[in-house]
Amino acid sequence: MTEDYEVEFVEREEREARFVVRGITPAFANGIRRAMIADVPTFSVDTVRVVENSSVMFDEQISLRLGLVPLTTPVDEFEIGDEVTLSIDVSGPNTAYSGDIVTSDDLVQPADDNVPIIELKDDQRLEAEADAVLDRGREHAKHQGGVAVGYRHLQRVEVVGDKEEFAKEEPEILRGVIEDDGELVATETFDNDLTNRYPGKEVEVHDIPNAFVFHVETDGSFSVDELVTAAIDSLHGRATELKEAVQL
Amino acid sequence: MELRVIEKEDTMLAIEIAGEDHTFMNVLKGALLETDGVDAATYDMNPEQSGGQTDPVLTIKTEENVDALDALEAGTQRVIDKSESLQAAYDAA
Repeated sequence: MTEDYEVEFVEREEREARFVVRGITPAFANGIRRAMIADVPTFSVDTVRVVENSSVMFDEQISLRLGLVPLTTPVDEFEIGDEVTLSIDVSGPNTAYSGDIVTSDDLVQPADDNVPIIELKDDQRLEAEADAVLDRGREHAKHQGGVAVGYRHLQRVEVVGDKEEFAKEEPEILRGVIEDDGELVATETFDNDLTNRYPGKEVEVHDIPNAFVFHVETDGSFSVDELVTAAIDSLHGRATELKEAVQL
Repeated sequence: MELRVIEKEDTMLAIEIAGEDHTFMNVLKGALLETDGVDAATYDMNPEQSGGQTDPVLTIKTEENVDALDALEAGTQRVIDKSESLQAAYDAA
């Protein structure tokens, strides 16, 4: 192995995580970020056959809303272009929620069941059949699995001296994660204000080269771990493909 | 992934990599620049609105005794190594 990476989690939940990667080049970090957003496929409703729509919205508007409902997407079970049929049948007075969507394949179902689709009044009814298709975020934003994916430099705060006696008391806002004595500290712990952590001190903030703090949030289609793994895998796959093509 | 060689000399290669975008090209370019024997590596890509050439064109220049195609192969291998290594580090955390 040519590179030695080090990964350390700051926060870790099913759908949201923050982790530091050390030893990664900006180009590679950005490749991973872009792959998470645009290249990891998820299921989304793409075609809708409306049986009855007596709601106040047009079929097209309902279809758009159905398309935006995140659907669970098991990794490696399906290929791009695969379809799964879903259906919905709600009569008013009632609100149609994503939880009312019935799936033909238990692997693909709404990630949340409390996404409102439309409020139905008396005598209004929505009945439709929909085909969810597996595709990538670069085709349509509804296929994005990572919804808030980004990174920033890990930073180091250096105390360079004391503040002057009559120095202005101004907040020094910093957002992200800082490293202090080898310990990772999220800036929220001191209200994003360095003067809370280092009162009366003159401080300098430096970026730590090649250490990036990733923030990854998924729409519920899959877990953060699955998203990161799939993104790395997609770069790996393309490199392998190109290598084989060059060898021929 | 379709490849089309545009220009090839011993120490120079210009190749079109159809279907790829900045996501992969910039990673590859970054890895090539870290590869021994590579003097210069860059890629050029036009936005769709510009018309004409929209697929990325990768250009590599290598040192005298290094073949540009071999360098490209080494560069892709480097991307593979990087992703495997990162995956291992992620799994370990």
